[in-house]
Amino acid sequence: MREEPLPAPPPMVRLRGVSKTYRRGTVEVPVLAAVDLTIDAGAFEAFMGPSGSGKSTLLNLISGLDQPTTGIAEVAGRDLAQMDDRELSDWRAAHVGFVFQLYNLIPVLTAAENVELPLLLTPLTRGERRRHVAAALELVGLTHRVGHRPPQLSGGEQQRVAIARAIVSDPDLIIADEPTGDLDRKAAEAVLDLFGVLHRDLKKTLVMVTHDPHAAERAGRVHQLDKGVLQ
Amino acid sequence: MNYLGLAGRDLLRNPLRLTLTILAGAVGVTAFVFLSTVIDIFYYNARAAQVDRLIVRNKVSFTQPLPLSYYARIAALPGVTAVTHQEWFGGTLGDTQKDFFPNFAIDPRTFLEVFPEFAVPPQQLTAFRGDPCGALVGEQLARRFGWKPGDRVTLKGQIYPGDWTFNVHGIYTGTRAGVDTTAMVFGYRCINESEALTDARKDQVGIYAVRVDDPARSAQVAAAIDHMFDNSPYPTKTESEKAFQLGFVAMSSAIVTAVKVVSSVILLIILLVIGNTLAMGVRERTRDIATLRAMGFRPRTVVALVLAESSVIGLCSAALGVTAAPLLVGLFAKLIASRFGPLPDHLTRGHTLLVSALAAVAVSLLAGVGPALRAVRLPVAEGLRKVA
Repeated sequence: MREEPLPAPPPMVRLRGVSKTYRRGTVEVPVLAAVDLTIDAGAFEAFMGPSGSGKSTLLNLISGLDQPTTGIAEVAGRDLAQMDDRELSDWRAAHVGFVFQLYNLIPVLTAAENVELPLLLTPLTRGERRRHVAAALELVGLTHRVGHRPPQLSGGEQQRVAIARAIVSDPDLIIADEPTGDLDRKAAEAVLDLFGVLHRDLKKTLVMVTHDPHAAERAGRVHQLDKGVLQ
Repeated sequence: MNYLGLAGRDLLRNPLRLTLTILAGAVGVTAFVFLSTVIDIFYYNARAAQVDRLIVRNKVSFTQPLPLSYYARIAALPGVTAVTHQEWFGGTLGDTQKDFFPNFAIDPRTFLEVFPEFAVPPQQLTAFRGDPCGALVGEQLARRFGWKPGDRVTLKGQIYPGDWTFNVHGIYTGTRAGVDTTAMVFGYRCINESEALTDARKDQVGIYAVRVDDPARSAQVAAAIDHMFDNSPYPTKTESEKAFQLGFVAMSSAIVTAVKVVSSVILLIILLVIGNTLAMGVRERTRDIATLRAMGFRPRTVVALVLAESSVIGLCSAALGVTAAPLLVGLFAKLIASRFGPLPDHLTRGHTLLVSALAAVAVSLLAGVGPALRAVRLPVAEGLRKVA
């Protein structure tokens, strides 16, 4: 008996003819031009390019923080252009985790409370939230820093807290914008190792923007952007 | 942690600024309560007015007299259950107004029938009624000058020239809140039957107070009284006790209006102070708010967080303000008492405190609307680029 091949899973990200133009007063500034891109679920892909090449804009479009001017942006099976602000908020809460260059931790909250933030948007009980937070912080190796606030943590530790926050609600897609840009080499390696764990062991889809070729090497595929055009 | 905890932590980011804002708000609330109390004082007698009482005065002005002979004719009208008359005496203890207090000539026989809220021990009342120059003093007035039954009080008449001596027979109290116990009343006969009074002034009274059997018929009875004296040399104007008292307030309308305007300005100041603090706080947290929005916090959740902060500031300001205000009013009352005589007890009403507290919270919430909307209107991607 001949076995039927399993259907290929839908891609995590599918962009078709996506362009983005910003308006600065009366002047229109094109940032992205006719981008076609497919990123499979479970992939780890990096985007590189000079400043102003449109990397962050592309990341914003993929993560539902911004809408394309033209074209179709389907992410995690949804056409983002069809969603309003509230739907996009709910969609991001369910599907996207963010890691920023400057960590973006809330300075008045402890590491554990920062990690707990995305869980406030879920129906989990307080006890369940605590367990999820503990697991996420254990994964990033910071169980001994749960009660510390961001100013009491090193840059590398803060970024690891941010990674714990990004994965605590178990999103499909992790968006990382220059995650090692503000870290020394050792801390950057630790963060990239963590990304490896998320990619290999947890099967997360990682989309990373970076200037650092060393970081880009960790990705399965590296895209180059120049003047809004995907090379 | 929960949403309230998150709002609380945000609020405590800058404890000094928070403390100063709450204190500024509290000062505003205190000032608002104080001025509201000053306005309340103007309306004190109007509030104490009874719905079943009418006041009959001269149509020209309440300073013009009415004949004593009207008493029987008013009392005979259907619907009238009791009538009394009183006359503003305006006497002072010395040559100056320094120790001023209200004093009236009344009809001891009928006064309590119309004003049953004045309570006098029976023995003292009997003694008062038996002496043409007997007097009753309110308990606050008695406290002020240390008067007691058996004392003799001499007043210098301003409207009725000369020195007039009255015998204190009793101390009256109020059977309910709002009764003025800072006054002295004495028998009308004492001045009306005095040889010092000219014939032209005899048998004249200031006003009549009338009780009706049914408040719903008050307008009808008032019209009947005025109609009865329409073509007399002393036509009357009859109105509810409340309208009569509000007539006095109207004389001070410029002051009352000014105080009300200042009260509104104070609310505006609270609005600006709290609004400014929240705007600064939200501006400083632009990136944090954008981060929350990126995570999936809905715009309305962010708005609710900012409004929670503003309402906490409002509540704290209100709590401090309504606690401090009665103390300030108390000091004010003491100051006034030392110059012009005592003010009524319990000046700061619970209603005033409640309204002031609610106004403070409402204004604080209003102050939070602008910063909250600004926080969610900024595109998330743009907010994330902001560096604190």
